[in-house]
Amino acid sequence: MSARRRALAWLARYWMAALPLVGVVELLADQYFATRAPSFRQYARLAEPVAGLRQAGDLVVVAPRWAEPLARSALGDEVMPLSDIARPDLSGYGTAVEVSVLGQRDPELTGWRELRRETRGGFVIRKLENPAPEPTVLDFVEALSPARAEVWMPGPTRCPWRANAPVLAGGLGGHPTFPRQRFQCRGSSFFNVGVTVIADQDFRARRCLWAHPPRRGELVIRYRDVALGDAIVGHGGLYWIVERERRGAPIELRIRVNGDEVGRTTHRDGDGWSAFEMQLGDHARTTGASVEFAVSSSDHRHRHFCFEARTR
Amino acid sequence: MSRTFPDVGSDWQRACGQPRPQGWLDPLVAALLAVGTTAILLAGVSELGYARDEGFYFRAAGSYQRWFELLLNDSQRALETVDAYWRVNHEHPALVKSLFALSHWLGWERFGLFSTEGTSFRFPAMALSGIGVGLVYLWGARARGRLVGLVAAVFLAAIPRFFFHAHLACFDAPVVTMWTLCAYCYWRSLGRGGWLWPLAVGVSFGLVLNTKHNSWFLPIVFTLHALLALVPGMVRGMTRRQVVRRAVASLLCMAFIGPALLYATWPWLWHDPVVRFTAYAKFHLHHVYYNMEFLGRNYWQPPMPRTYAFLMTAATVPVVTLLCFATGLVTALRRDLALPYAWVRGRIAGHHAAGEPESLPDPATSLLWLLALGVQYGAWLSNTTPIFGGTKHWMTAYPFLTLFAGLGVQGALVAARQHWAHGALRPLLRGRGLELAVVAMVLSAPVIQAGHVHPWGLSSYNALVGGAAGGANLGLNRGFWGYTTGSVTGYLNEAAPKGARIYVHDTARQSWTMLQRDGRLRQDLRAVGTVAGADFGLYHHEKHMSGQEFQNWVAFGISVPDHIAGLDGVPVIWVYRRPGLATPEGR
Repeated sequence: MSARRRALAWLARYWMAALPLVGVVELLADQYFATRAPSFRQYARLAEPVAGLRQAGDLVVVAPRWAEPLARSALGDEVMPLSDIARPDLSGYGTAVEVSVLGQRDPELTGWRELRRETRGGFVIRKLENPAPEPTVLDFVEALSPARAEVWMPGPTRCPWRANAPVLAGGLGGHPTFPRQRFQCRGSSFFNVGVTVIADQDFRARRCLWAHPPRRGELVIRYRDVALGDAIVGHGGLYWIVERERRGAPIELRIRVNGDEVGRTTHRDGDGWSAFEMQLGDHARTTGASVEFAVSSSDHRHRHFCFEARTR
Repeated sequence: MSRTFPDVGSDWQRACGQPRPQGWLDPLVAALLAVGTTAILLAGVSELGYARDEGFYFRAAGSYQRWFELLLNDSQRALETVDAYWRVNHEHPALVKSLFALSHWLGWERFGLFSTEGTSFRFPAMALSGIGVGLVYLWGARARGRLVGLVAAVFLAAIPRFFFHAHLACFDAPVVTMWTLCAYCYWRSLGRGGWLWPLAVGVSFGLVLNTKHNSWFLPIVFTLHALLALVPGMVRGMTRRQVVRRAVASLLCMAFIGPALLYATWPWLWHDPVVRFTAYAKFHLHHVYYNMEFLGRNYWQPPMPRTYAFLMTAATVPVVTLLCFATGLVTALRRDLALPYAWVRGRIAGHHAAGEPESLPDPATSLLWLLALGVQYGAWLSNTTPIFGGTKHWMTAYPFLTLFAGLGVQGALVAARQHWAHGALRPLLRGRGLELAVVAMVLSAPVIQAGHVHPWGLSSYNALVGGAAGGANLGLNRGFWGYTTGSVTGYLNEAAPKGARIYVHDTARQSWTMLQRDGRLRQDLRAVGTVAGADFGLYHHEKHMSGQEFQNWVAFGISVPDHIAGLDGVPVIWVYRRPGLATPEGR
């Protein structure tokens, strides 16, 4: 028998003899992994260190993302408001508090500078600074109210604001929730403008303005008395389950300032939650402006368009 | 014979008993395993909520039960109204649902044998799962020795995903038993002449045809096996003529008895059988693609990942089971199939091997297990095979995986005897001590883990991926079918005010109703199909379902769950509560 075959035979014999030990090692490993992640109750320990690091306006993120519901439950809506957890992106935040378990990090925060760090039980809490924040002058999603905005369907027909409309939600496989407070247009309940949350192509939450295009013409959302920055930036998309079929017509979003079209973007199925940016030119840094978002499509069927926009 | 692994033939006889069962002992052990497994399943069944598909099968079984009752009271009318009762859920065969119906009718309504109605529906699947475990013991013991059979049976029962599915009023665990039974009958038919076992193959094939469409793989396996069994040395002590005659007898019985029995036991086929069977086949051959998360990505249409079945097996079957399987497989390939392989290679090269090799102990058995395993996993090499069922769609391969694992343990035992039972350890390892120690060492982790993860079977992952949290980190699915509602019933019973409306998300209405009929959920709680107007919103986490969670946020104006449940620090289901909702007294 060659030396190689002898070595293989030796290895095989001892592997067989050691095989039962694998069972013991697995038993120990199972116990280790079962207790490695913090228990649900341990998340209650987060409140104090997060409060110590967080200042008003700071974003709180959780890594890995699957642990976020536990952190939300422990920290509450004030620390993790809907506008933060369903944020369009990170560009508007100057600082963030990252809660990390199991050594995970949020890849979106790569490049942010660490200011402070605390370890509490199985949690690492870090305060991070955005190297290039882009402050928002006005968030059009936040600003949606009858005091600042009006909505028009073709006709033109004004869509009245309803402060206590019946909430509508699609249920399993259905449309995103239409909130209690919304501009409700005539016809289908889908013709409304309100703040909702859709799931993007990664099934992440995106807070946005529901803006289903009408059968013909444009849906117009008009804001009054807007103080502008240098540009209007934003994102648009559809609930991904609808968009991924890639069967719908393109959706056009035009933005007009004081009647001048400053830019347009076309959303095609498959684009996902996609960004747009429109420079404001002569309108930059002016006040008292009228800003219109006009949504249209050559075929309005299943065009569950939703967008967010900010000026900065 | 290969020299890489120890020559253990005679040791096997000593260490593990005779490969062939003697008298009543092995059937008795098999029966005890079946009863014991069923008892364990029954003991834990009330912790498990009802899966979405179970709700549909409750409804179907209820319809079939009414037909059985009609048949008993007015057979003429029953035969005239077959379609009205059997149309329900006709996209799936009827045998197991018929058993659900009979169990409910007799075990619940007539004799009150069960503590809850849901358990009466689930009992046939649990009993069949137990029988499957016993059958694996019997086959392993008969083919390779009692130790192989025993270890294989427990390995199978303790695969967390199998253990989970074995509780459910579904077809996935029953088809494991039926599939294995048919393969076992075929294997027995090769071992002896006569028509008893070929007839058993035909009958069992008819039963598995009427259980689930996994049955369609069986003729492929048996035909391939029959052809390869012609290789000299593959079947000991038989001429090629005998091999051919016995295999053909079984295949003929399958061809004639199988479809006939399917037709006879599935009344939906009685009118227009060709059209209806074709529709059934098309339903499954062109099945709609549901969503499934794998490695962080949601798959919902081809191309599906070809690695899915293999990686999910590696991530969900206990590691020691996998390593014992690999060891047993290599052992079998080298020992059982080396000589037939050499013969085939010699024929291809143009020279004849000297005579027909006599190999140990019976290569055709290992070949059958290997083909049963390979053909079933082979389906997932196609990137059009749907992956939405997770591991349950190839669970029929697991009895063969664990039989090979049993072989691996047998090899480990022999090696341990050679290397450990000397010197200081010798007194400790006298008699059956070594066997007990080895068996305890290899079985403890799977058995304890299967118990630990219950009722979160679909959220469980093995140590290779870091347990449940490791699976979540990797973006592996945490569950489907909305069955985890059963894990928040305590919270709902306590937290919900009288008459509260609960958005049940992925839980089927019939499944929700069964929780109430079982007394696990308060009768006054009302299931609703939308979170709009609801007082509580359930969210069963699946990647593609996240929009359902967001519906809660907007409807309730909050993003803070009121209650979260899950496994080992990983959330699987959480519940939102409408702000301002009255708190029940005493909370």
